Amino acid sequence: MALTDYRPDAMRCTRCSYCKWIPYDLVKSARFAEGCPSIKAGKFHAYSAGGKLVTALSLMDGRSEVTDQVVDIAFKCQLCGNCDVACKLCRYDMEPILALRELRAHLVGLDRVPESYRPLIERTRAALAGKGPKTPADRNAWAEGLGLVDPAAEPVDVVFYAGCKYSMEESLRETVRTQVQLLQLAGLKVGLFENGCCGGLADKMGYRDEAAEAGARMLKQWAEAGVKTVVTPCADCRQVFTRVYPRLEGAWEGQILHTVECVEQLVRDERLELTTPVPLTVTYHDPCNLGRQGEPYQSWEGEEKKIYGQAVVYDPPRPRHNGAHGVYDAPRDVLAAIPGVELVEMERSREAAWCCGAGGACREAFPEYSAATAAERVEEAAYTGAQALVTACSRCELNFSEAVAADTASGGPSAGMAVHDVLELVAVSAGLMPAPAGVTAVTAAVTPPATADGKEAS
Amino acid sequence: MSPSYAQPTTPAETAASSPQIPDAAYRALEDIVGAANVSRDAAVLDSYAFQWLAELVRPDQSHYMPRPAAVVLPGSTEEVQAVVRLANKYGLKVKPHGTGWYHWSGPIKDEDATLQLDMRRMDRILEIDEQNLYAVVEPYVIAARLQADLLPLGLNLNIPGVGCSSSIVASACAYHGAGPDTYFMGGNAENVLGMEWVTPEGEIVRTGSLGSGDGWFCSEGPGPSVRGICRGTLGSRGGLGVYTRCAVKLAPHLGQTEWNVRGTAPAYRLPVHERMRVYTIAVPDWDAWAEIYYRIYDNEIGYIFHRQFNLAGADLAAAFWLMYNDASKTLSDVPGMVADPEIQKLTEELRISFQIILQGRSEDDIELQDKILDAILEEVGGWKVERFCEQDMAEFTNVYLQRLGHKHINFVWAGGYIGSWMQFGTPDWVKGYVPVAKAGLERDAAGGKLVQCGGDAMMGSGSGIPLGGATGLEQFVSYDPDDHDSTVAGIKHMEDAVTDAASIKYPPGKEFLYLQIGWTDEAVWNALAHARQPQVFRYQRMIKDAFDPNDVGDRMYPTLPLEYEAGS
Repeated sequence: MALTDYRPDAMRCTRCSYCKWIPYDLVKSARFAEGCPSIKAGKFHAYSAGGKLVTALSLMDGRSEVTDQVVDIAFKCQLCGNCDVACKLCRYDMEPILALRELRAHLVGLDRVPESYRPLIERTRAALAGKGPKTPADRNAWAEGLGLVDPAAEPVDVVFYAGCKYSMEESLRETVRTQVQLLQLAGLKVGLFENGCCGGLADKMGYRDEAAEAGARMLKQWAEAGVKTVVTPCADCRQVFTRVYPRLEGAWEGQILHTVECVEQLVRDERLELTTPVPLTVTYHDPCNLGRQGEPYQSWEGEEKKIYGQAVVYDPPRPRHNGAHGVYDAPRDVLAAIPGVELVEMERSREAAWCCGAGGACREAFPEYSAATAAERVEEAAYTGAQALVTACSRCELNFSEAVAADTASGGPSAGMAVHDVLELVAVSAGLMPAPAGVTAVTAAVTPPATADGKEAS
Repeated sequence: MSPSYAQPTTPAETAASSPQIPDAAYRALEDIVGAANVSRDAAVLDSYAFQWLAELVRPDQSHYMPRPAAVVLPGSTEEVQAVVRLANKYGLKVKPHGTGWYHWSGPIKDEDATLQLDMRRMDRILEIDEQNLYAVVEPYVIAARLQADLLPLGLNLNIPGVGCSSSIVASACAYHGAGPDTYFMGGNAENVLGMEWVTPEGEIVRTGSLGSGDGWFCSEGPGPSVRGICRGTLGSRGGLGVYTRCAVKLAPHLGQTEWNVRGTAPAYRLPVHERMRVYTIAVPDWDAWAEIYYRIYDNEIGYIFHRQFNLAGADLAAAFWLMYNDASKTLSDVPGMVADPEIQKLTEELRISFQIILQGRSEDDIELQDKILDAILEEVGGWKVERFCEQDMAEFTNVYLQRLGHKHINFVWAGGYIGSWMQFGTPDWVKGYVPVAKAGLERDAAGGKLVQCGGDAMMGSGSGIPLGGATGLEQFVSYDPDDHDSTVAGIKHMEDAVTDAASIKYPPGKEFLYLQIGWTDEAVWNALAHARQPQVFRYQRMIKDAFDPNDVGDRMYPTLPLEYEAGS
């Protein structure tokens, strides 16, 4: 695809502003109605998805040039996909999130990227060339002693792919080890390759060649070993495996599951028993790449045609990806299976979830913006009165942990709130690990945040 | 590396020659609102210049209105005041918008150096007065946000036909504000109470009771009674100063206080409260349509009253809405559904239809309203459209019309739509233009350059004034803005609609307002001079002379120069 392929999307944008909000039908309060972190921070219309489309159109029309502000507009965005959901409430002929990604790739082609991208992509390139600071063997240090086997050497039930964050962040080590132990507890034979980054970060940044190189390497490895199922604890990796890899050469016909999906199946099949009570009120954050961008995906190639004179349809019919069928129920079902856990929903949940802030390479490239986005989410979580914010993505967990820590230091709304991965709680209930600190303690009362109107929320 | 793009459709030189803002003025703006809240980056400006409907009025069907000289995001009334005073000093135009939808929300003329005021930083709900039934809001408060905070209190607000995505202040202070709930709640033009207005000279005027320090409860005193200057029927549409706050009347809401919407995108559903009923009603002909409207008015039943689903076109509406309610389907499925005999039957059943939501104060009350509606249906020969009254469609209709969060289905067929007709009057008067509007669309779509969805794609409020009396139907004409020929066909349809209306001695409709945006000043003045009450525009000229001596506002506040007055 090329940017010009999205000209019709831009020309047919009606500037309705739906992309700035969560689906209006789901708005439950004035405070938590916004859906787009990019325009919340950038403020000018150009930061919305519709505005980004027009920015692209203006470039294509030769009316404007790539400036630093255009770069900021294109890249200061988590690609969280709220705009895609909201736009498609009324439209079948728009693909906002694909267009936004195309704009990035286009600017990468012009070498007009945020300066903060340059060291990131250099690190990625070095890693792909085997020259990174961490070798594939280094990346597997987290799994020492778990008894994982080499899938190339012997058959396994599932291959576990930890992803960069889980492989390398010390703070996530216990979480990722526990996830593997859960699978093993259920009797699965788990394999682990020595490999590198999935290419997800490069893909989000718009460096498609690098992402493709990583993907080709991974697919070859899986195909040669006859891998049938890959399980990953990383929502970002899952999104890349299911949405990017199918477009690459080297077809692989296996199944991709997030660990929480796999565990949900194991619990449903009674292969995993959750018996230890975990008395905790939690609120669940839907990671963008597991939720609205985690739905079954079909690549499409075809062309536009008209019916009834001018109504726009596609030949063959274009699959509809509007966030309706993401992985929303599996984590909630898992939480429901843990005795003692009470789930209270945030106002913006499922396809309307506010982003954690980390996605789209923003945690790495725009840390202040990323942190501000996370702060909004932990405030919303605090509003529910939950003791803990749980999620199913390493990047979300890191961002939230830091946002809560900042609130705790400043007396902010989420002060004292715990942040967990869903599967940590599963592991506690399965007897694999002790209850995390504070689970049985009564969390300090959370004061509801002030509304946008300055009043205390009721 | 040079970028390569295909098929530019808009002359770059037009944009390049846009009037610039003097550096000194720009620096002064930065001082007022902060450097992060003002921009003159070309791409940022183009995101404001790009507007729906521009392609119907601009040279070469450009999608861009004139590019503003700068975009400013004020954060307070005082900042707005300072910006407006700066504009007076430097000879700049000021054009505010709320959410910025419609071609007239941007600059109108290429030669004007215009400051586009995007009000999004002013987004607070300042007060909800439950006892006195009003709310005070800033310009970027959209209806969805206020309604979400009102419903738990048992209150609601009129959401105009533009939908819940739009600014309450914009419709209440500066444009028209009728919608599905206007029948019960009044339109925003009537519902506006106190206003805070930064005049084109930069004075802050607080209208009515607000101006005398007595609060927001009344727009016409005690205090400055300038409501007639601030707004008439249509409002000044950004052409006469900036509204920075207003109060709007609220209405009781006796249905659900919990917004427990469920279902799968895009067709969400809201369970129907026990004291509410949600119906799609149909009648055999347009005489019966007018009659049932009168009887609903006379019996004062109903809470939300609207003709909504026909916007998809009478030939396609049944198939379209059933498709929309099945998340697995897309527009590609519509032709197959249209061919289904059951849906063909439903299409005929639904052909002249509308939606009504009843709300009772008690179970007895809702039952009584139900009986009254049944009696009316029997008398006029109407019926409840069974399939559309089943639980799934009723719940969808319920959320659709209560919140109006799907309004941009207007654009679903091809990405562009024009509202033609929409003349407002009694049902008998409105039904008089229906056959002409229907035939006009069939004629103009016959060549395949507009969407052929049946001649009647007309929708509108059951009543645009509280408790009934006057309605209007807007013809939804769908065109593809990415297709030059289709866009040109849309323009021709607008021109045809004006001629069609004149042929039956009706005044021009909504399309006439759209078209005028692309006219020269002289052409607009000629039209105003021949309007039915041209003296209105003479009075408005006097107001403009008094309040806007430096011509900071644009012609969206229309005035008639002396030389165009009859006899001059």
